[in-house]
This record gives sequence, structure tokens and C-alpha cells, in this order.
Amino acid sequence: MAGEKEKRAINRLESMRPLRAKVNETYLKSVEAMQAGKPAVWGMLNFYYGDPVLKAMDIEVVYPENYGAIAAATGVAQQYLDRANADGFPTHLCGYSLTTLGYASRMMKELKGQIPPEAPLGGMPKPLFLMSSAAICDARYKWFQSLGRYMDAPVWTLEAPTPGVKEFFIEGYYDRMVDLGVKHLSSFVTFVEDMVGRKMDWDKLDKTANLMIEINRVWHEVNELRKVKPCPMHSRDFWSAMPAALFLAGDLEDSLGLYQDMYKEVKGRVDSGTGAIPEEKYRLVFAELPPWHSLSFFDKLAERGWNFVIESFGYRPPIPIDLSKVSDPLERITRFNLQFFAGYYEDARKQNVLGGAFAYPYLKYAREWKCDGALLHPLISCRSASTHLPYVSNMLMEKLKVPSLSIEGDIVDLRLFNPQDALARAEPFEETMEHYRKMRKQEGLDW
Amino acid sequence: MSDKKRGLSKAREIYLNRSQRVRELKAAGKRIMGYPCAYVPLEMITALDLVPYRTCGDMKEPVTEADRALPSSFCPIMRTCLDCALKGKNDFLDGMVTIHSCDPQEKTARVWESYTDYPYFHFIDMPVTVRPEALEYFEGQLNDFKKTLEAFSGKKLSTGTLEAAIESHNRQRTLVRELYELTKPSPPLVSGTEIVQVVKALMSLPVAEGNELLADIMSEVQTRTDGPERKAARLLIWGSTLDNTDIMQVFEAKANVVMDESCGGIRAYRAEVRRSPDPIEGLADYYLNEITCARSFRQAILGETRKRYARDLQSRFGYLKGIIKEWNINGAIMLLVRYCDPFAFEMPSLKDYFDGLGIPNTYIEYDYTAGALAPLRTRVEAFLETIS
Ligand code: SF4
Ligand code: SF4
Repeated sequence: MAGEKEKRAINRLESMRPLRAKVNETYLKSVEAMQAGKPAVWGMLNFYYGDPVLKAMDIEVVYPENYGAIAAATGVAQQYLDRANADGFPTHLCGYSLTTLGYASRMMKELKGQIPPEAPLGGMPKPLFLMSSAAICDARYKWFQSLGRYMDAPVWTLEAPTPGVKEFFIEGYYDRMVDLGVKHLSSFVTFVEDMVGRKMDWDKLDKTANLMIEINRVWHEVNELRKVKPCPMHSRDFWSAMPAALFLAGDLEDSLGLYQDMYKEVKGRVDSGTGAIPEEKYRLVFAELPPWHSLSFFDKLAERGWNFVIESFGYRPPIPIDLSKVSDPLERITRFNLQFFAGYYEDARKQNVLGGAFAYPYLKYAREWKCDGALLHPLISCRSASTHLPYVSNMLMEKLKVPSLSIEGDIVDLRLFNPQDALARAEPFEETMEHYRKMRKQEGLDW
Repeated sequence: MSDKKRGLSKAREIYLNRSQRVRELKAAGKRIMGYPCAYVPLEMITALDLVPYRTCGDMKEPVTEADRALPSSFCPIMRTCLDCALKGKNDFLDGMVTIHSCDPQEKTARVWESYTDYPYFHFIDMPVTVRPEALEYFEGQLNDFKKTLEAFSGKKLSTGTLEAAIESHNRQRTLVRELYELTKPSPPLVSGTEIVQVVKALMSLPVAEGNELLADIMSEVQTRTDGPERKAARLLIWGSTLDNTDIMQVFEAKANVVMDESCGGIRAYRAEVRRSPDPIEGLADYYLNEITCARSFRQAILGETRKRYARDLQSRFGYLKGIIKEWNINGAIMLLVRYCDPFAFEMPSLKDYFDGLGIPNTYIEYDYTAGALAPLRTRVEAFLETIS
């Protein structure tokens, strides 16, 4: 019965299901390929920068950050955490990094390179090389560097320029970011070629880049449709559908078709006035990593009329940018990657929000998607997903009179997020949202 | 401050009342530029006749104001730095220069800029690799910094004045290295605690005054008869920031700290800016390549396609080998500030490196509060017992 009720609480998109199935199928296929000896790379989420290169070279990529979530959800993470701590890694480090370090320790030191039998979903095989990234947090390149203790896998660290909001507008600044990006990516291509002993197929890279950009444009348009009331698509569908666009999981042509189908379905809902939940009383923005293991928590909130209409800056497609006249695929990829952050800068400067790409997007989301509240989810062992949240909360209140509810969780210690407690805190927050609705009206804000 | 005081006692006085001199300078019409990290190119600030002042935190002051914008599980050094700023302890600053040396610095910079209203605020982005294209980008960043600083100061930064400033700062680096030469004898002629005071004084003074102070200190220390006592352990401390004498005294109660490889010790002085036709190029090279902090991603061979752990360790920590030998170090402490990711990830590898050299070592974590000193003392004593 509970299951039936959950289904009704959120009206999930039909078009999300084949997209999700494709991603899962691709994952299993790549596990099989890797088990059969196809070289694999361990990668960090890098926002459309290194991934298209690997995709065009037909290299299988596994993402230990994601694998950390799987290990946590299946209950095997603890032994890896313990092992990493025993090896001397401090306990306060990112939980996913400790999981991977413990996993690598077990695989390389104890099992002489064999995948640990307890590893869920076929495990992660020893990588040919590691692709780390400087984007978002320090852990994401220091962690891969630390893996050198366990495996002699070369590391490539992808640069990720992070300008200040004012500084970005200094003459020539953006061009220099592009210049860095293109040169860096070009060296990365040479590195990958040397590693796999094959040359890049530039036509394929060109096509891959275009598909990546188009998929993300359509995906962006899908999310724009969510501005209407009632919002036709819930955050749960966003999270389920995003890996194909964010990680380029699966065949890109297939993905493009599936996102187009999703656009049609969501547009249909807009036209017919169908919402993602039966009665939309409150529209909310969610930041940042969701409690993957407790997503049914959102169904409970849906029953109370909470619709999550926009979410997680770190997973969103860049604001579209016309790159059709950029002939060099490396430059096109670079500009697209830079757009992930830089797409927000012009507006952030106008609004004088100096908090940069981590804070400004939430103001934009709350204003344009007309949110009544923000649900913030700081994570004990992922500081990068948490650090900016107090600032975001202050800005939302100061500039838009949008209140925030902060509910703590963690990426590996799943007990920290207690859905019952969270629900108990949600109820009084409704009064707060009501109160600020009135305040916004008084201040001349239109929602 | 009293003019009668000289040398080490003057350094101690400045350490205890850091902002007094810059307040005097401010009253005399100088403009003061704050910076939170060893990566900010001070030479450019000096060359434009501005006074660089490192904005530090206060271990004894409970963090309250910074709680408004930073979570509690966040680099305590940055939290206390910001806290002091928000409490108006740096109210004499005319501007602030921040840099992307690590993620917490970047995040703190955003908040700092948003919650204060100095006439000038600049953020320098810094790449994480030491690759040629990264160096080029960083040079561009320093040229941007130059432009905004020129606009703020109303002066042009000429090659000549920048070169002169580089020379003064290089002189300071040389003098600090010479001071560290005086920790080589046993017992050392100067203690780790005194060096913390000296380095912090240098971060509170215009470079020329700092150099004068150092010259004074050198002649005092070389001939002193009241130096530190000889202790059985000669320690190397490795960490992010060790800028407080209370912490240093925990180590020095039963050991001589002869090398402090941190931002409160030799890190910003170990190398120097090389002469280059374009001085900004020289600065970019020094700050990106020469300062050895865990925040940078280093490799034995750029873009290497074969990897060996031993070689990797050498490229990351090789600079410590000579220090250990020359300073006759018999114990190393890796001092970690909680929630500092760049340094925390280094710990096991650095341990491997020290083990490879046969140097007893330990890793100690604390949270940069006065309350952390007692447990720190227990850990240090336990370690010292193992090496005695
Ligand atoms: S700290 Fe957070 S963002 Fe960084 S690697 Fe860990 S989970 Fe990812
Ligand atoms: S390097 Fe470590 S201690 Fe220093 S500011 Fe960054 S996180 Fe804090």
C-alpha cells in the first residue's frame, strides 16, 4: 500500500524511465567490458571537459564519487572507510574519497589487483589512468594523487579556472580562461593518446562535442519548463535523468532522442496544466547533493504539497551558449565547460552577489522558479557541497525574502539524515514559508 | 611601540601587538593592504607603496561572527581569520587581496568580500597544476592584479620599482634562511618560538622595516649566550600554518624545533624570485612553482604516462631530505589542522617518505583553538618518548 501511495505522491515522468534504463544498461555493459579486460579510467566529475575526450576515444570511465554513493547505499562502505583510516587518512576527509582509498587499499594491497568480491555492481577494476579535476573542491585532485600509494596509475589533473565575480569582467579575462582551457585540453588529448596507444579521431570528437552541447541544451529547456505553475516535473525526475547529460553516460544519439521525448512530455504537462504533485502548495529549491538513500522522503513532502521545482547547481546543464561558429572542437568543449560557472557571472555582477557561482545560481533559481523556500542539505563529510549553504541561505533571505530549512546529512554515514526528524521540522517550516510569502508581497516581489 | 626595544624583544612586542605599526603608518597616510595567504605576491603591493599585512586569526578568540557565513566543519584557520575581520579587528585595512590557494580560501574570499566593504578587494585565481599553460594563466592573473592595484593606488607600477621590491623581498627571504641557519647548531641559537614571533612580525611590517629588524636579530642571535637549551629531540614540524607561540611551546617544552615547514615558518622564504626580463613572469614562476605547499599538484614528470610511487614521493617531498640531513633532524611531526583537505591527503604519503628516510614521525591533528593545546601536548610527549 505504501508503495502505491508513494507512486501517487509524485507524478513521475514516463520519459525518465527509458533514459534511466539506458544509463543503467550502459553501466552494466561497461562493467562487462571492463571485466573482459577493456581498459578503464577512474574519473572525477569534470563538467563536460575531459569526458568528451574519453568518450570520443571510446574509453570506459568509472566515477569513484558515484561508486562511493553505491558503496554507502549497499552497506559495504564502512569497511573501506575503516581501512583508509587505518592506513592513516584522517577521518574528516570526504567520505567518498575515503571509501575509494580503502577500496584501492583492499584491492591492491590485499587482493593483488583483484576486484574485491564484496564490491557492489561488479566493482571498479584497476584503472589505466586517473582523471582528476580541480573543479569544486580540493579533494577531487588530492584524493587521486593519494591513490599513488596503492596503484601505479598516472594521474592527469584537469584545471578548472575559478574567477571572482568582479575580476571576470577585466578585459581579456575570459579569453585567457579559454586559452588555458584549450592548451590544457590539447595536452590532455596527447596524454590520453599516449596512454591508450591510439590517435584521436577528431571527427568523432567534433561530433561528440556537438551532441554533448545539444543534449544539454534540450535538458536545459526541459528545466525551463518547470518555471510554470504547477511545476510539471519534480526534482526526483531531474536526479534520475541527469547522468546521461552530466556524465555523458550511454550512447549520445540515443540520449538526445530521449531528452527530446522528455521535453515533449513535460511540455504536454505544461499545456494541460498537469503538475508533478497533485496539489502544489509550496515550490522549493533544493541544494546540493540529495540524500540518495532516502529519496522517498520527497514523496512524503509531496503529500504535504511541497513541489521541488529546481535543484542542485552542481548537476545542472550550463546556460545555453551559441558555439556553432567555433570550429575547433577543443575550443568548443572548453567554452562549454567554462559556461557551467561563467554563465551566471553577468547576472551575478548586476545583482552584486559576489558569492560566485556557488551562491548566485540559487538566487536566480528562487527568483525565476518562484520558490517559497529552500531545502538545504549540508553534508558532514562533503564540505564542498556544504560550505556555501549558510551564505546562500543569508542571500535568499536578504535579497528575496525566501526562507531556508537546513537539514544535515552525510554522504557515507547515512544514519545522519533522519527522514522522521526532517519531516518533523518540515511542518513548522510551512508557517515560515507562509509568513515570507506575505513579506515578499509587501516588498513588491511577485510571488 | 617602544623604540628602545630591538631584535628579538622587538619581534616579540610586535607579535603581541601586531597591528600597532600599521596603525601608525596608516595615521601617517600610508595605505594598508591585507592578505590571508603566502601565495599573494607582496612585491606588487610593496612596489606601489602600499603596506602588506597578513590577516591572521586568533586562536584564543571563540569564533562567533564567522558562523554567520561558514559552517563549523570548515578550515578553522579561515574561520578565525574571517571572524577577526568581521569583528573589526582589521579596521585599518584599505583593501584585501585574496587568492585561490585552496578551496576554503576561495570560499572564504567570497564571503569576506560580501560581508565587508573595503575600498579595494581583489581575488586572484590560481591554477592547481604547475604545467606551462597554468603558469601562463597565472601570469595573466598577476597582470590583472597589477591593473586593479594601479587603479586603486593611482600609480603606475614600473618595471624598476617592481624589481626593487622583488629585491627587498628576496633580501628578506635570504635573511630568514640565514636565521634558520642558526638553528643548525646544537643547541640551536634561536628557538622555534622566537622564529614564530619573528615571522609574524615580518608579516606585520613594511618589507624594509622587516629587513632592518631581521638584520638586528641576526647580529643579536649570532652572539647571544642566552639561547635555547639543548633538548634530545631536534624536530621538523610540517603543516599548513603554525603561527602561534602557544602551539610552538607545546613542542618546545621538551624538544628543539629546528625547522618549521609551514606558513608561519620557512615556507614563504625557502626559495626566491628569480630575475627575469618581465618581473611579473618571475613572480608567477616563484609563486606557482617554488612555494611547496600541499595545495599544488606536482608530478615527477609533467603528464607522466608511467608512474612509480618512490619517484612521486620524491617530486612532492624531496625538498625535505636535504633539510633533515643538514639540520640533523631526528623527529618529524606532521601537524594537521582539522578540515584542511590539501594537507590531510598528504599525510600517509609523507609518512611513507619519512619512513623511507628512517625518520621517526607522527601525525597530529588539532583544531586551532586554545582548548586543543592540552591534547596536543599529550600527543607530542608520547611521540617524544618514542624517539628518545
Ligand atoms: S568533498 Fe564532496 S564534492 Fe568533493 S569529492 Fe568529496 S563528495 Fe565530491
Ligand atoms: S591550506 Fe588548509 S589550513 Fe590553509 S587555508 Fe587551506 S584548508 Fe585552511
